[in-house]
Amino acid sequence: MTGISRRRFVQTSAMGAAFAGFYGPWQHLHAQARPIRLGLTNDASGQFGNSGRDDHRGIRMAIEEQNAKGGVLGRKIEWITADTESNPAVATRVAERFITREDCSILLGALHSGVANAITQVANKSGTIYLNTNSSAPSEAGENCSRIKFVWDGNGSNFIKAAVQNAVNTIGKNWVQLTNDYVYGHSTAATTKTLVEKAGGKITENLLVPQNTRDFTAYLLKIQQLKPDVVSTAMGGDDNKALREQVAQLGMGENPAWIEPQADWPDVWGAPQSLSGVFGTTWYHKLELPGVDEFVKRWQAFNKNDTGAIPVPGNVSYNGYIATRELFRAIERAGSTNNIQIIRALEGLKMPAAERMQHFDAYINPNTHQVNQTIYLARKNPKPGDNTDHFDILSWTEPQQVEDEAAPGKCKLVPYEQVPTVDA
Amino acid sequence: MLNLLPHLVNGLMLGLLFALIALGFTLIVGLMEQINLAHGSLFALGAYVALQFLGPQPPLPPEAAQHWLALAPGWRYALTLLIAPCVVGVLGIAVEVCMRRTYGKDPLYGLLLTFGAALVIEESIRLVWGTRDHVLAVPAQMSGAFIFQGLIWSTYRFYAAGLAILVIALTWLVIEKTPYGAVIKAGAHDSEMVRALGINLPRYRLGVFVFGTMLAAFAGIVIAPIWGIRPHMGVDAVIPAFLIIVLGGVGSFWGAVLAALLVGLAIGLTGAYASEWSLLSIYVLLVAVVSFRARGLFGKKSMLEA
Repeated sequence: MTGISRRRFVQTSAMGAAFAGFYGPWQHLHAQARPIRLGLTNDASGQFGNSGRDDHRGIRMAIEEQNAKGGVLGRKIEWITADTESNPAVATRVAERFITREDCSILLGALHSGVANAITQVANKSGTIYLNTNSSAPSEAGENCSRIKFVWDGNGSNFIKAAVQNAVNTIGKNWVQLTNDYVYGHSTAATTKTLVEKAGGKITENLLVPQNTRDFTAYLLKIQQLKPDVVSTAMGGDDNKALREQVAQLGMGENPAWIEPQADWPDVWGAPQSLSGVFGTTWYHKLELPGVDEFVKRWQAFNKNDTGAIPVPGNVSYNGYIATRELFRAIERAGSTNNIQIIRALEGLKMPAAERMQHFDAYINPNTHQVNQTIYLARKNPKPGDNTDHFDILSWTEPQQVEDEAAPGKCKLVPYEQVPTVDA
Repeated sequence: MLNLLPHLVNGLMLGLLFALIALGFTLIVGLMEQINLAHGSLFALGAYVALQFLGPQPPLPPEAAQHWLALAPGWRYALTLLIAPCVVGVLGIAVEVCMRRTYGKDPLYGLLLTFGAALVIEESIRLVWGTRDHVLAVPAQMSGAFIFQGLIWSTYRFYAAGLAILVIALTWLVIEKTPYGAVIKAGAHDSEMVRALGINLPRYRLGVFVFGTMLAAFAGIVIAPIWGIRPHMGVDAVIPAFLIIVLGGVGSFWGAVLAALLVGLAIGLTGAYASEWSLLSIYVLLVAVVSFRARGLFGKKSMLEA
């Protein structure tokens, strides 16, 4: 040992050890102790309460699985939730509270497009990343898009695009629309009209249905008087369930033909006998694809003590789960919890079909933040394999073929420099 | 141009259903001067109790359940229409006993108490039956559809409207043609005098509240096959019920029935001719009536107007 005395070496080592003993573990503990906090903005009551709870189950399952693996970037994930009540005004208050008082750096969850849009407005102000897990209004990745928001469900345009051309050719050109009088209904109906007219059909009437309508007899009588070939619906939540039930009671499910953008699994579960016509979905628990059975079993194990849970997962819980899982992967790829870096890690993301348990690879459009994915068309299953087998999957379409072409023209994402920086 | 007749028929039928929904609410407001905000939750509970009795596992001892399930579906349904409101009526007793402390005090106490009861009942429903939707199946004879005026109509809606007429008539008979009804009305008008006559008024009040509760539950059972069953379905009932009693005039039985028919017609006709107005129309109707007649269609004149 040259140039340093033994005494000096021992002193330096002791000081170093003392410093490491103080500073090193303190740093380590600090990183461990500071979890990433997520705000789950799920509807637990109101029009979309039932589906909102299923969305919540999927998100929670992804969080639990990630925490079981040690969290993200070595940090535990914490979550809080509050009922957004299927009400945009309540959602605004919840989002404000989560961001300003609960220290949530990322928000997840929505069914109602008004709720999703309200949360986006709040999240925009602080640059908080928001994952719209299940609201499928085309406007969410169109005029209401945002740099901080990613839309994980297939949107109304995707579903309608998969169905319209075929329906105009094979069923008829005269269409009537039943449109829920809020943002999802209007934006889906506008897309449907464009596509029907492009395919050579005609919208003879668009019947607007106020939210919370429970009696559809006046509408169903009018539809009979108008005698359309096809009725295209853009209805959501409890309104849609009541409509389906009343259509089934009248035996009008087959004539005229009914086309519904998406049948959410929690809505179907309560009244499967009321399913009619052709409808879309993004996932089904009986898809014959690798990983599906195993995912169903994991989901069932996770929810075994939840008395309100449906026996099998559906599209809503699936979307919640996938969105959350991909968020964690994006954070790990980014190696950071900085919002801009996470956004960059999600933009343009390509997700292999096998990992998403769908037929085709999915991708996030970097210009709209819409997750483009396989779109399935289904009908009521005439030969169910068991008491959960309510869908008969008719077709699956590649995301490129059903991409919402109008969305990029409507969506203007602000430059990164204009997004406030957030670090979780 | 659309044929108007089917929409008038539909509007009247809808009005009868609204009258059924509002009946229990009207009774309690009119005879007890209490606003029962738990009306909607009791309406929902009626539907859930009926669901249990009409399902494969009725809430009965094993032997009784076997006999029950052996009955024809029509009989089971008819008996459920009687049993389920009685079950909910027991809860009505509990709510009324709690409400006694609020009588004669600021009406806000009664409002808060029944609002709290509504929340407790709704959450209890979630705990017991879960959050998913249910469908209340009706006997085959009452379900299905038929053709009238070249259009398909739901058979069940006509049965439901018929049941509404029956219950409206029975309620009117109880209030107007029985000594019990006379005491109740007298008690609402001058409770001290009725007590001075040696009548046990709290017992009569309990009777009114339980009857109102049972009517709410009955309405829930009748409406459930049309609206579907979900924990928060009561909200869909309590808002129109409130609107109807204000429109008809607080305390007026026939005012409430007429108001319900007008509300049904407003929704039915606007649904056909200006669909985006179908729910808003009832509020426009309320504003129009109250603007010219502040006490509603048949409401009693207040001291200030005399």
